[in-house]
Amino acid sequence: MAATDVRTPRRVMGLYDKPMWESIDAREMKLQRCTGCGTFQYPPGPGCHACLSMELEWIPVSGRATILSWVVFHRQYLPAYPAPYNSIAVRLEEGPIMISNLEGETPSGTWIGERVKLVYVTMPDGVILPRFELDR
Amino acid sequence: MTSGLVTSGLATRQAGAGRHPNPRIRRAAAVVGVGHSDWVGDWARTRAGEKPTDACGYGMQAFNAALKDSGIDRSIIDGLIVGPTTAYERMGELLGINPRWGDQSDAVMSVLQAVMAIESGFADVVALVYGNDQRSVGTQYGGPDAMGGNAFLSYVYHAPWGLTSQGALYALTLQAYKHAHGFTERDLGEVAVAQRGWSSLNPNAIMRERITVDDYMASRYVCEPLHLFDYCLINDGGVALIIAEADIARRISSKPVYIEAAGRSDLNHGATSLEPRLTDFYLPAQQAVAQQVFDMAGMGPKDMDVFQVYDSFSVHVPLALEGYGYCAVGDAGKFLRESGVGPGGKLPTNTGGGHLSETYMQGWAHQIECVRQLRGECGDRQVADCRNVHYSSDVAGKAVSIIYSR
Ligand SMILES: [Zn+2]
Repeated sequence: MAATDVRTPRRVMGLYDKPMWESIDAREMKLQRCTGCGTFQYPPGPGCHACLSMELEWIPVSGRATILSWVVFHRQYLPAYPAPYNSIAVRLEEGPIMISNLEGETPSGTWIGERVKLVYVTMPDGVILPRFELDR
Repeated sequence: MTSGLVTSGLATRQAGAGRHPNPRIRRAAAVVGVGHSDWVGDWARTRAGEKPTDACGYGMQAFNAALKDSGIDRSIIDGLIVGPTTAYERMGELLGINPRWGDQSDAVMSVLQAVMAIESGFADVVALVYGNDQRSVGTQYGGPDAMGGNAFLSYVYHAPWGLTSQGALYALTLQAYKHAHGFTERDLGEVAVAQRGWSSLNPNAIMRERITVDDYMASRYVCEPLHLFDYCLINDGGVALIIAEADIARRISSKPVYIEAAGRSDLNHGATSLEPRLTDFYLPAQQAVAQQVFDMAGMGPKDMDVFQVYDSFSVHVPLALEGYGYCAVGDAGKFLRESGVGPGGKLPTNTGGGHLSETYMQGWAHQIECVRQLRGECGDRQVADCRNVHYSSDVAGKAVSIIYSR
């Protein structure tokens, strides 16, 4: 199987997800921000969980984040992800937590607390994913 | 304007500050019959490629065993609650039950629903029936179509980044918890070792060979930092319980096991991106439920003779030890090493061997183990003079607890 045949696992595409993925494809990831109270939210949705306002706008994120947790898969679950590979949870500077992967150099010892920055990675099938690398 | 009052009132309805639940359910109902399928035999048969029966068939086997155990006639059953893995009406059709109260729910909520229906007068004798052929049909709990993905968005939302397995979510929790509290992999290994110690004494357990912490450390990672021994089994089987109104239960049974107290508290804020798992370790929800059930029962952790924890992954156990006050927050590693949860330990926990070693019945087998410990029917693994058993589960941020008593 050629690498280009291996499809990136599909995105959950609910009614409110499309603008985010379009912004990722444009390499300028945007998240919803509440026009009432200013809370950012992820995943995208119909309204603000903090104040229940349903007036939301799409704002580019800074890309700065901190690692909250990390794992290394030693078993393959998905054709696009041969083991070993990592997944991380980061807290975006804007507030929300996001699951992603750490690209490039990895810290020795724990990864928790490491500052990271957003990068855009093109998968072999052409799908663009927001990932993170160490911000040193 | 009352909106300010209403708002502040709502603010106090967060986890940990709830109104005390209605104490009427205390000892309102009791378990009068329990049964299960042949987990050990069916494990061998399914691994040999056989298909002993389907999910409804396992449920029927368990129901027949529970009916026999209770000694009642099927005709007095007027409530039916079926587990989430079989169609409700098909199971009812096969069991020949036309109830006046019916529902479909997971293990612990089924027990609560039965008590609520009985206390409300909607039913007198409720059968709870669960069957699952997850092994022989190859149910996937990881991958792009992970089981439960429709119910829990977090199980599938992060698939583009390769994170879909439920074990991986708990691996993320464990990594953050280790960092926060100086907890080690060897500490976690104590859970798997203890539960294998219990299952070695349990003829109903699938995995009965004892292991050591060194065996645990030498086992492969699945999703690091979780080892193979941290994962539940995947096997076919069924479990059933019959729960009756307390006065009826006393007439039916010489050893009814009462549902002494029950409670629930959920953490939904940030659930899809895993915030309650990663920053709070579900602690506020478990502490809120602990207050509810211990207040309702008029008891505390020290009064519990056995602790049963929903353990799809071993990491549930240290989190529950802290959340329900069996040890101080951050001290679960020390508690596991020094007090112990295995045979001979201070707090016998998952005395059947749990999901890790006995059978993965999604919390259902834990309920009948509670009942059998209180009836004194557990043979080599029996905890002496067992009077109160505490069950807890925290699946996807829903912390639910039951105290069973003689
Ligand atoms: Zn808002």
